[in-house]
Amino acid sequence: MAIDPNTEARISDDARALFAVGADWESVVDAVDYETLTVNMGPQHPSTHGVLRLVLELDGETVTNLKPIIGYLHTGIEKNAEYRTWVQGTTFFTRMDYLAPLYNETAYCLGVEKLLDIEVPERAQAVRVILMEFNRIASHLVWLATGGMELGSTTMMTFGFRDREHILDLFESQSGLRMNHAYIRPGGLAQDVTDDFKERCESLLELLPRKIAEYEDLLKKNPIWNDRLRGVGHLDAQQCYELGVTGPLLRAAGVPWDLRKAQPYSGYERYEFDVPTESAGDSYARFLVRIEEMRQSMRIIRQALDTLPGGPVMHADKRIAWPSQQALGPDGIGNDPEYIRHIMGESMESLINHFKLVTQGFTVPAGQVYQPVESPRGELGYAITSTGTNKPYRVHVREPSFVNLQAADEMSKGHMVADVVVVVASLDPVMGGVDR
Amino acid sequence: MSETFVPSAGHGLTRAPLSIEEIQQRITDAFPAVTATHQHAELTLHAEADVLVELLTFCREDDELCFEMLVDLSGVHWPAGEHVIERQSSTTGWPEYRISREQGVIEVLYVLRSFSRNHHVRISVATDDEAARLPSVTGVYRTANFHEREVYDFFGVEFEGHPDMTRILMPDDWLGHPHRKDYPLGGVEVEYKHDKFIPPPDQRDLREVID
Repeated sequence: MAIDPNTEARISDDARALFAVGADWESVVDAVDYETLTVNMGPQHPSTHGVLRLVLELDGETVTNLKPIIGYLHTGIEKNAEYRTWVQGTTFFTRMDYLAPLYNETAYCLGVEKLLDIEVPERAQAVRVILMEFNRIASHLVWLATGGMELGSTTMMTFGFRDREHILDLFESQSGLRMNHAYIRPGGLAQDVTDDFKERCESLLELLPRKIAEYEDLLKKNPIWNDRLRGVGHLDAQQCYELGVTGPLLRAAGVPWDLRKAQPYSGYERYEFDVPTESAGDSYARFLVRIEEMRQSMRIIRQALDTLPGGPVMHADKRIAWPSQQALGPDGIGNDPEYIRHIMGESMESLINHFKLVTQGFTVPAGQVYQPVESPRGELGYAITSTGTNKPYRVHVREPSFVNLQAADEMSKGHMVADVVVVVASLDPVMGGVDR
Repeated sequence: MSETFVPSAGHGLTRAPLSIEEIQQRITDAFPAVTATHQHAELTLHAEADVLVELLTFCREDDELCFEMLVDLSGVHWPAGEHVIERQSSTTGWPEYRISREQGVIEVLYVLRSFSRNHHVRISVATDDEAARLPSVTGVYRTANFHEREVYDFFGVEFEGHPDMTRILMPDDWLGHPHRKDYPLGGVEVEYKHDKFIPPPDQRDLREVID
């Protein structure tokens, strides 16, 4: 084999051959310059929950520094909303955290309702609560599924996604869409729930407790799950405060903080439920907290279903309320012939109002509000600024995924590379929410 | 409604919340230059940039206020000049809105929350939009790191003393700060059917588009 003369010259210039024999390892280590290795994890990596890129600085296999690089999924939703009417905003914000769309819709609508200074009908509030709590279960099931898959439990993945699909079927039957529903609107709901809503919820409430107990058994007794989660990604309460970490991570660090209890919205003060906490503050504690949260969600749904009031699902003021009395057709979206007859045949004013409401929307008094809700990932806040027009002046979203991601560095330092996967899984970031 | 919440003992979360008047009193006693506005049962305190770090440190350290966490930090751009915002049709009777400012500002809003006392406050600081500069609060609340990078990325506010003042969501080589109101929409021309180029929404005249 011919040797390239250039290569040979380069080798001979600064060649340092090190021969390691027997117990010479220490001298080998001394001879080599000490340096850390920088490794890119992502953005195309199966364990990073979408397009998250982590730049790891490694000393051997130990993480000395972790820097999340985000923005790959930035779609300018906040900017877009400034050029759309207040109702159209719902269809944008629901696409942020796509695993918890109903929380985005509710938080945004609560903010707009606060600016409008209106009260939503009780039935709409109860339906919002029921659907939000089902959404929390669905989101935690996806967390179990993806978290399980990242640690090698493909069984958990298929289980989690399977049961989430039952919940998405319920959402589809009510809103017409599995995800990104735009079902919750400023003033109430897009339309009333179907006649079989209660039955559907009941059958889910019958199915889910069995399934969740099954998964808890499957994972709690699994030695790999225990070994990989216990003591990994530790965050105590003080660190959570400093880093802005909320939600299950804060509760797993022993702080019984839940906005549903602390600052109730949508009638949460009417329901009885506990705020689960753990004291360990590691990934395993977060697993336990999330499992218990699913149980508490079902408790809330049970009470809300039993006391579901009748009445309208949209605010009475016709200057704000989109027509929500439409019957739901077999295609999921209905056009009530009675309503069409009224606006087309009977009342010119109704037609004008309908036309103006749909094309121009309503105006919202000038002001600034900050409206937080407890999403499955923590405090989801909408900082809305209105200048009194039919479009928002500025909407800023405090996304729990975005803020919690800052803690990844602190949680992974001193751990192995493989533990970074556990850390990211226990943070449960949704990149649609992080990048917005 | 928040008065009824008594968190379980053991984590210091047992004290009753202060009312917004009490919070305002406590802060204005220490910082007389701070002014307050109330709307929708929320308290906003308007402070100058030079006391910002001191004010936030006070809010975190004070035994009565106990604001343990900075939950949100966001920006709003109010450009200079006359801006008339009116509805597309004049027959509605809906109110018009005018903003008129001599100097354009970027308003940066800090939302602080106390977990032990279950109350919150918003602090508003304004900076000139031509040379937007504010002191970084990462030394007081570490969580401000990502938030301040976001405000820098979207509004061009330089936070002095920030450990890593780089873009966070937009690409590193992006020009301009897209959430400013003077940032043009539609940088890329999009061709539609019949060789038509539709202008971005803020420059769109519907009659032309239909023709």
